[in-house]
Amino acid sequence: MSQNPSQQSQQAVQTTGHVWDGDLQEFNNPLPTWWVYTFFATIIFAIGYWLIYPAWPIGNTYTRGFDTITYVDKAGQKVTSHWNTRALLMEDMNKATAFQKPFFDKVMATPYEQIAKDPELENFVMATGHSLFENNCASCHQTGGQGLVGHYPNLTDDDWLYGGHYAQIAYTITDGRHGYMPTFGEVLEPAQIDDLANYVASLSGIPADPAKVAAGKHLFHSDTAGCFYCHGEQATGRHVIGAPNLTDQIWLWADVPAHRTAQGKIEAIRKVIYNGVNKGVMPAWGDRLSPVDIKVLTFYVHNLGGGQ
Amino acid sequence: MSSVAAASPYALGADRAAAGVEEYNFDIVKKFTIMTLVWAVVGMSVGVYIASELAWPFLNFGIPYIEFGRFRPVHTTSVILGFGGSALFATSYYIVQRTCQARLISDFAASFTFWGWQACVILADASYMMGHTTSREYAEMEWPLALLILVVWVVYMNLFIGTIMRRKQPHIYVANWFYLAFILAVAILHVFNHLAIPVSMFSMKSYSLFSGVQDAMTQWWYGHNMVGFYLTAAFLGMMYYFVPKQAGRPIYSYRLSIVHFWALAFMYMWVGAHHLHWTALPDWTSTLAATFSILLLMPSWGGMINGIMTLSGAWDKLRTDPVMRFMIVALSFYGMSTFEGPMMALKEVNALSHYTNWTVGHVHSGALGWVAMISFGSLYHLIPKLWNTRLYSVRLAAVHFWLATIGIVLYIVAMWISGITQGLMWRAYDQFGNLQYSFIESVAAIHPFYVMRMIGGVFFLSGVLVMVFNVTMTILQGKREERQALAAGGLAGAGV
Repeated sequence: MSQNPSQQSQQAVQTTGHVWDGDLQEFNNPLPTWWVYTFFATIIFAIGYWLIYPAWPIGNTYTRGFDTITYVDKAGQKVTSHWNTRALLMEDMNKATAFQKPFFDKVMATPYEQIAKDPELENFVMATGHSLFENNCASCHQTGGQGLVGHYPNLTDDDWLYGGHYAQIAYTITDGRHGYMPTFGEVLEPAQIDDLANYVASLSGIPADPAKVAAGKHLFHSDTAGCFYCHGEQATGRHVIGAPNLTDQIWLWADVPAHRTAQGKIEAIRKVIYNGVNKGVMPAWGDRLSPVDIKVLTFYVHNLGGGQ
Repeated sequence: MSSVAAASPYALGADRAAAGVEEYNFDIVKKFTIMTLVWAVVGMSVGVYIASELAWPFLNFGIPYIEFGRFRPVHTTSVILGFGGSALFATSYYIVQRTCQARLISDFAASFTFWGWQACVILADASYMMGHTTSREYAEMEWPLALLILVVWVVYMNLFIGTIMRRKQPHIYVANWFYLAFILAVAILHVFNHLAIPVSMFSMKSYSLFSGVQDAMTQWWYGHNMVGFYLTAAFLGMMYYFVPKQAGRPIYSYRLSIVHFWALAFMYMWVGAHHLHWTALPDWTSTLAATFSILLLMPSWGGMINGIMTLSGAWDKLRTDPVMRFMIVALSFYGMSTFEGPMMALKEVNALSHYTNWTVGHVHSGALGWVAMISFGSLYHLIPKLWNTRLYSVRLAAVHFWLATIGIVLYIVAMWISGITQGLMWRAYDQFGNLQYSFIESVAAIHPFYVMRMIGGVFFLSGVLVMVFNVTMTILQGKREERQALAAGGLAGAGV
């Protein structure tokens, strides 16, 4: 525990002479030179950083730094300020807006049918539409627009609940939709619902009980069930009220594809007839997206499903 | 003086008095040591589970108590306060007694810190699962638990400082400086971060005294200094005792230890705001945080140099001694993460890394690579000393070393790749200036790396299980030898 390091003067490097817990000692090596110089380098780096950016608070203000940013503010005035994150954002947004403006102007001025005739414009609309779709629509319709059976319509097939013309799609996006089918479990007998399910299945070529199909067909077109009011005499649906076509093999509410047996498929259809549908709500985007965004999305979605 | 080290605390009182041997309170060290391992298993198991939840969300099972949002603070609290905290209590009590040649000033107070601390961690975990949270990261416990922690901490501080004041050594050993800085800083951080007003006397809910950007600033002033003083300074204290002990060599440089200690203590307090780059925080605050993070690089490396260079002249130990390997790899990971941290604190790098898994990987290269590895190494040294025996199996310690190292590498690599993937995907623009990817596409892209991270966690956890087995066998062996020694000693004593 001697404080006199001379005792170890034979060693190249001396310990401090302190000893703890039997054998704990410390050499007194000098600071490694590279360590000292690197430390100085970080100090110089820090000073450089302070000179570029806002750094030290002084009273109610702070050192501004030498870096500047020039941007156009909301009033349209050109402003030069010291580097700050707000100005940087404005500068970036200015640049992006200025770059995209000619394209957006052209989109607004071009009728839907003409967009595809201008390859560069079409590329812009499809790229922008993809970005808008992925960030606004994909949370329900899924990335790529394939939808989810039992919840959200598939937008990539050519089956359109509310119509696939540009004006119809634009209307759907702007004002939203609310798909509805009454609960038939409350008004029909279980056997009747079973007959209807068999009939609806037969329309898509699913093997069904012929007797039940016949009974179901009769019910479908009768005033007792009244299915034809909405789904139409041919069961091909009506766009005005979003009633689906029952004769294709595309399913939104009844999870028919999930079942391998005809019996399972018919059961899935029976459930929908029994419970009805009251969750087919798509929100209105008119207040959230600009008219040009909606136009772009309309073109994009039209393109996804081949349109009408 | 070395006879002090060799003497068993369980030697007969008469022998001890006769030999004039200082009696230390090792009972408290043993208790905390065992809880260190218990919390390692609990905290890391929960960690592996929540990593699996991220990869396969069905594992939430719709059970609110174990869903990711509630389970994640259970993981962080169990590993930081449970595992890390118990390791720090155990080693600080051990080191302060041995390097001051003084018994802890109060056995009751020591015991109180043990039961109090374990209660804090258990109650905090339970409260998170019940849905109580302040939503302040790494300080989610609500006000009654925050108060309990404060009481335990003040008792701890008194005990530690009181013991140092009773020392029979003129100088305070460097490890104790670091523990002191840790205890003092954590007390300050804990108090200010938890300033809050409870909704009522009988409500768990409280609201922070701060709001808006000041709230965020306080939270990260706390958050990063917990990294600085709890996960760094305190474990450096551990390093400063156990590395030279295990290496049988003096510390490389006393001067370096002084310089880097004060530099660390001074600079860490400035850097918390680097967690809040590109937010509503004033730009000058974020600049200062970035530069002080850069200035921290060399002071941090001072600790690494001092640890690694202590081994110079005894490098061959790395080949034969897995315990030494734990310590040196821990120091290497410490050096690596204290290089990575300042880089991530720069505004431009942070713009890419912030909110991504890169941050998660960085934290774990520090937490697994540095904190856990240095703790394992220290415990492998400490446990045979406590139970007065030798390690049951050096080979199993080597197995643990490789499992842990492979686990860390898998974990960090997975998080680097997925973090940079996220950062690049979020900022990718197409030729027309539109965002190229949606958020969900970035989630899908990183799924394989979530699985890889989980596998890394399984490796790390299995290493801990190997250690638990090894330690259990070591303790049983120590007890058996003690019984035999007592039997033999009893006969010999009768002879005298």
